[in-house]
Amino acid sequence: MAQARLARREHLTGWAFIAPALILLGLFMIYPIIWSLWMSFQVGKGMNFSFGGLANIERLTKDPVFLRALGNTFTFFIIQVPIMITLALLFAVALNDSTLRFRGLFRTAIFLPCVTSLIAYSTIFKSMFATDGVVNQALMAVHIIGSPIGWFTDPFWAKVVIIIAITWRWTGYNMIFYLAALQNIDRSIYEAARIDGVPAWARFRYLTIPMLKPVILFTTVISTIGTLQLFDEVYNFTAGNGGPSDSTLTLSLYIYNLTFKFMPSFGYSATVSWVIVVLVAILSFIQFLIARDRRTS
Amino acid sequence: MNVAPMTAAATARPIARRTVAPGKAWALARRALVYLLLSIAAFVSVFPFVWMMIGATNSSADIIKGKASIGTALITNATTFFTQIDAIRIFWNSAVIAGVATVLTLVVSSLAGYGFEMFRSRVRERIFALLLLMLSIPFAAMMVPLFVMFAQARLVNTFAAVILPTVASIFIIFYFRQATKAFPSELRDAAKIDGLKEWQIFFYVYMPVMRSTYAAATIIVFMTNWNNYLWPLIILQTAENKTITLIISALTSAYTPDYGMILFGTVLATLPTLIIFFLLQRRFVEGMLGAVK
Amino acid sequence: MSSVTLKGVRKSYGSLEVIKGVDLEIESKAFVVFVGPSGCGKSTLLRMIAGLEHITAGELEIGGRQMNDVDPSKRGIAMVFQSYALYPHMTVRENMGFALRFAGVAKEQIARQVDEAARILALEPLLDRVPKELSGGQRQRVAIGRAIVRKPEVFLFDEPLSNLDAELRVHMRIEIARLHKELKTTMVYVTHDQVEAMTLADTIVVLRDGVIEQVGKPLELYEDPANLFVAGFIGSPKMNLMAGVVTASGNGTVTVELIHQGKARLALPLTGAAPAVGSAVTIGVRPEHFGPAGAGGAEMSLNIDVAEHLGATSYIYANTRSGEQIIIEHEQSRLQGDQESITVSIDPARAYLFDDKGQRLR
Repeated sequence: MAQARLARREHLTGWAFIAPALILLGLFMIYPIIWSLWMSFQVGKGMNFSFGGLANIERLTKDPVFLRALGNTFTFFIIQVPIMITLALLFAVALNDSTLRFRGLFRTAIFLPCVTSLIAYSTIFKSMFATDGVVNQALMAVHIIGSPIGWFTDPFWAKVVIIIAITWRWTGYNMIFYLAALQNIDRSIYEAARIDGVPAWARFRYLTIPMLKPVILFTTVISTIGTLQLFDEVYNFTAGNGGPSDSTLTLSLYIYNLTFKFMPSFGYSATVSWVIVVLVAILSFIQFLIARDRRTS
Repeated sequence: MNVAPMTAAATARPIARRTVAPGKAWALARRALVYLLLSIAAFVSVFPFVWMMIGATNSSADIIKGKASIGTALITNATTFFTQIDAIRIFWNSAVIAGVATVLTLVVSSLAGYGFEMFRSRVRERIFALLLLMLSIPFAAMMVPLFVMFAQARLVNTFAAVILPTVASIFIIFYFRQATKAFPSELRDAAKIDGLKEWQIFFYVYMPVMRSTYAAATIIVFMTNWNNYLWPLIILQTAENKTITLIISALTSAYTPDYGMILFGTVLATLPTLIIFFLLQRRFVEGMLGAVK
Repeated sequence: MSSVTLKGVRKSYGSLEVIKGVDLEIESKAFVVFVGPSGCGKSTLLRMIAGLEHITAGELEIGGRQMNDVDPSKRGIAMVFQSYALYPHMTVRENMGFALRFAGVAKEQIARQVDEAARILALEPLLDRVPKELSGGQRQRVAIGRAIVRKPEVFLFDEPLSNLDAELRVHMRIEIARLHKELKTTMVYVTHDQVEAMTLADTIVVLRDGVIEQVGKPLELYEDPANLFVAGFIGSPKMNLMAGVVTASGNGTVTVELIHQGKARLALPLTGAAPAVGSAVTIGVRPEHFGPAGAGGAEMSLNIDVAEHLGATSYIYANTRSGEQIIIEHEQSRLQGDQESITVSIDPARAYLFDDKGQRLR
């Protein structure tokens, strides 16, 4: 039918716009993913492998290093994401007050860490948290601690440094999302609430949070993905070994080690990577559920 | 032209300045608390930068001692840095990789975001939903097959291999699709009547109109690419092809790292992202505003 | 200048049909206004003429050429949008010359045409500003200027005045009317505002639910509506519609009893087929057509609810005993302050009769 020519052309144009992205994604994402899924059923070292069924999954359950990495990754996620999201939200709400002075200055300052280069920040943190570094000296100067903390030698404090570092770097980034979302909210809603005598905390709890929910959900999911894939910081802070004694080993670092450090075990490392996929999927799903539940209640 | 990103907030200011009701000590205390909190946050955020810059002027020994004043070792640090590494080349590598990757990512991903939003069809909506699901797939799951792929294509240790996998960014596609929702569709209609083809509408109308969105995306994408670590670490194998991030990272892993020289290098390595941020800052919040609706 | 012809034009989105077969002949140089409530399909119809929406079925001709599949820019049309749709990153001059640039017109020629359009609309001092620096009315004029520059055969306006304040709207309305006189171009104009429709149009097309309800000159629609919908839609305040029952008919008259008006009876002249005795009908009377008590015809006495005094006239919102609201235009400038009821008469010659399906009986 001749009538459909315009419609068909529009349809084709739609494909043309997304085609470059789809081709690249197909080549550099979908194909590798399918391959890695297939690999996760293979056993063997190097390029010699054979079908092993669920052997890799069985190996997972008995691999203490994997369980360690899983536990660490989970610890980072459980502690870091809520702290960061809360801080980001807090800063955003504080900065959204138009009567505040130096807003631009504060905003830029808090956002600054996320535009620093990875290498700058890991170097700085490493030297600041060195046993005789500034942080220990400052803490000792104000008598919070008596003797220096072995930030990178103590398994507990090593985790703490990692959490502080990621939080430092990404809080401002998340804050910008909230700030943008907050500025889209009609001010008169708050003015109406003030006239109605709604106290500040209730405005935050019953107006701000619900209206920001989509953004909060979005940033939470993105942060979850980021934290579960944690690699850069750990690799750089610990010279690639996840030490001390695997206390900061994450799943991504373990996969890297399995593939590029030890005798490569592609099948097994693919299996470990799929653990992250499954974890992210489950956690994102739970986060979606929580977000939806609140809406109905 | 002459848009200040904060105009909306700035014009709202005089109206809102009536707050702090008379005699409300509680309100004042709260206000003080807010300033305190923000000041601490700002200090914590900025301190490492200051420390880095001071550090670049001190010797390694002084840095470890925690010397917090400007020193005299700047020239020494610079000389060590430039003699130990082929800095120009390494910076060039980083600049080419991050620059090319940023331009390509912005074009490819904004085309897709625009395409998904402007040309809706059931199949494309499904594909988009699938992409969002794929956002959750970690890079770790892809790096081995990717490496083998590039090895087979004999592209290991090339810039192309670093850049190509990052170009179609699902996150940026999503970001542009969200932002496109705020692009007035009547502009597209008007342009059609004015005789522009779809691709012309994209380049002559959409791109200039959405420049704030592009500015914000540039900051995010450039930052990501400049800092990209894991993939270049795997795929770039010879020293002369490595990025500044990789090189300095290797320096810090030395048995006795020369912090003075390293911090000098990090100052240099941070400059490009900082410059881009401060150049585009005015549009940044405005751009994010469009995307978070 | 071109005529526009629509033959059996339909538009559907999936299974939802929004334009249900429109036949329309728009003469060259006419000013045609599409009017109707929101969702009636008037904008869709205009966008189909523009080529911004595909035509699902039927035929569209502009200037005698079949245009169904022709690119919007090659239909000889120009369009003015509700939001003006000015390119925010370009100056007024660039905005106005943009289409010509893509039509491959030489630079000097573009400059000449832009200057000419700017002169017609008195836009010369604004040529180097960007849209953000213009007021709403100025933006509107630029949008019109952008359309003029292209020297279109047909102008399309999609609710162009609805973003302006009341005073500017009147001003721009006059300017558009003047423009039509000056350019003598075919203009198709969409609005939901019947005042705009009445004042601008040579021909009004009333649409509802994707169907043309009536086509006619403004006064024709006002004086001789074809059905209840048009009767209710055209005219402000709205025509009063009262339920009635036919009690007798024959000899060119039909007698109707108004159910809720205290059984007032009205004998109306009728030339066509008369409805059966006992059938339900609707009587319509415009607010300005009520006569004073004792002027003949049926009389109703009403309780005054609210009176609005507009100076020259007053509108009285009154209720019948059973609570139906009736609006009366009262010529005397003022009622007695405490007057609580009023008696009016209905002149049978000025009452409209509609059958139970809403069609006019004449």
